[in-house]
Amino acid sequence: MRFIFYMSQTTSTIILKKWLTVFFSAGLLLSFFLPWVSWDGSRVSGFGMPSGDFFHVSETRFNLANPFPKLSFSFALFWLIPALALLTTGTVFSKKKSVPFAFMAGALSLALLTVFFLFTGILVDLGVGQNVWSMLKPAAYIQALSAIGLILIAFPVKTVVPKIAWLLVGPVIAWGSFKAGEKYIMGETHTATEQVKADYTMGAEELIREFLANDTAANKKYLDKMIVVNGKATAVEVQVDSTSTIRFEDSTGSYAIFSLEKAQVDQAKKIEAGDAVSLKGVCSGSIFSDILGTTSISFKRATLNTK
Amino acid sequence: MKKTILFLSFMATTATVMAQKLTTTSAVVTFDATTPKDILPKAENKTVIGSLDKTTGAIAFEAAVNNFAFSNPTIQSHFIEAKWMNAAVFPKFTFAGKIDKLNKVKFNKNGVYDVKVSGNLTVKGITKPVSARAKVTVMDQAVSAISSFTIKLADYGITGQAIDAGKVAPEPKITISTSF
Repeated sequence: MRFIFYMSQTTSTIILKKWLTVFFSAGLLLSFFLPWVSWDGSRVSGFGMPSGDFFHVSETRFNLANPFPKLSFSFALFWLIPALALLTTGTVFSKKKSVPFAFMAGALSLALLTVFFLFTGILVDLGVGQNVWSMLKPAAYIQALSAIGLILIAFPVKTVVPKIAWLLVGPVIAWGSFKAGEKYIMGETHTATEQVKADYTMGAEELIREFLANDTAANKKYLDKMIVVNGKATAVEVQVDSTSTIRFEDSTGSYAIFSLEKAQVDQAKKIEAGDAVSLKGVCSGSIFSDILGTTSISFKRATLNTK
Repeated sequence: MKKTILFLSFMATTATVMAQKLTTTSAVVTFDATTPKDILPKAENKTVIGSLDKTTGAIAFEAAVNNFAFSNPTIQSHFIEAKWMNAAVFPKFTFAGKIDKLNKVKFNKNGVYDVKVSGNLTVKGITKPVSARAKVTVMDQAVSAISSFTIKLADYGITGQAIDAGKVAPEPKITISTSF
């Protein structure tokens, strides 16, 4: 009698676990395609990562491009989340082993949620939204609960240790990778100007003329571009602290000014007003100076162009 | 004859006034918002436009926001975007003020003069009064000046989690050094 009672209880537990597995798989599958976050009104779903929408939104809305575009192909891995959720359901109904699929689906899902969470934190640092929690959408919570449920309910695994390990493995790897990437980005410096290919090469007068004709269009065209500018230096200033600037001026008094790298100071000292020079630098665009009544086009990280 | 004298007088007066107003296109402004948690938010702009009127003590500066150079490319791009300095809409920082008690500075005598400068600083389209001590040096008719002061970013509508989290100083130090 006790044996029959035990058997029926075990059978009902298994049936319950089966249906819970199907329930969590369905939750994982559906919420993957619903918005997980709303970044200042821009909604991004879980599938936004493998589809590319995640970094498209972050770049176009918040100027945060994918820092490692060469690794974009690896994001396709997250398409496995819905695929594994379907496989888990299928194996449950066909009475085959569903555990590996459930574990992998849950771990991948939690890894992706971790990336969403950490990245949203960076946006908060940039002033987007008040805090991460306020930007998470219900589907993100459904995804998290489904992933956790899928791992915890997986049967016939009876020990807790592998379940805890699978719960942690995704977030830990995602957190570690994210922090390593963040450290790399924060440790980056600008590539030396000499080693960057120029986007444009032009005469100083031509450049100034273009800005005077239409500063909006010129700023759009040249801002943050590496430009080689050739012309006759109008003024060269070398300060005691190795700060040096070289200026090209047109007949109206408008000018382009290059702030040279400190390592260039010895070469800058050899240049005099009237000398023909070729300078290379990053264009910072123009401003109209109310003090001088002229247009000023400035360049940073400039060097004397020797090529 | 009268017209010629009048014209020459006008030219002489204009030249005198022009001589009293010193200008530069290569003043240096340093923006230092570093904290113990983050040493990256620090930049320099070496092409700042400045002017000093020796007769009135009027002093002014204009700095292109886009020309602040940070060592880190990511911080560089964050600095100019809409949530921070919004360089696309507000392309320059400006300061307009004057040297208090200008008679303390002898522009025809070599020396170092400690002065107070008061005026209005405009950042991100918001203008606030600022005042700071400055050191004016006169050497063989050449005039140079240096001053440091802090500003409250919140006064200029610049807030965010990075400041709250201690990654960006809420009151960055601004240093201006110039040779006219």
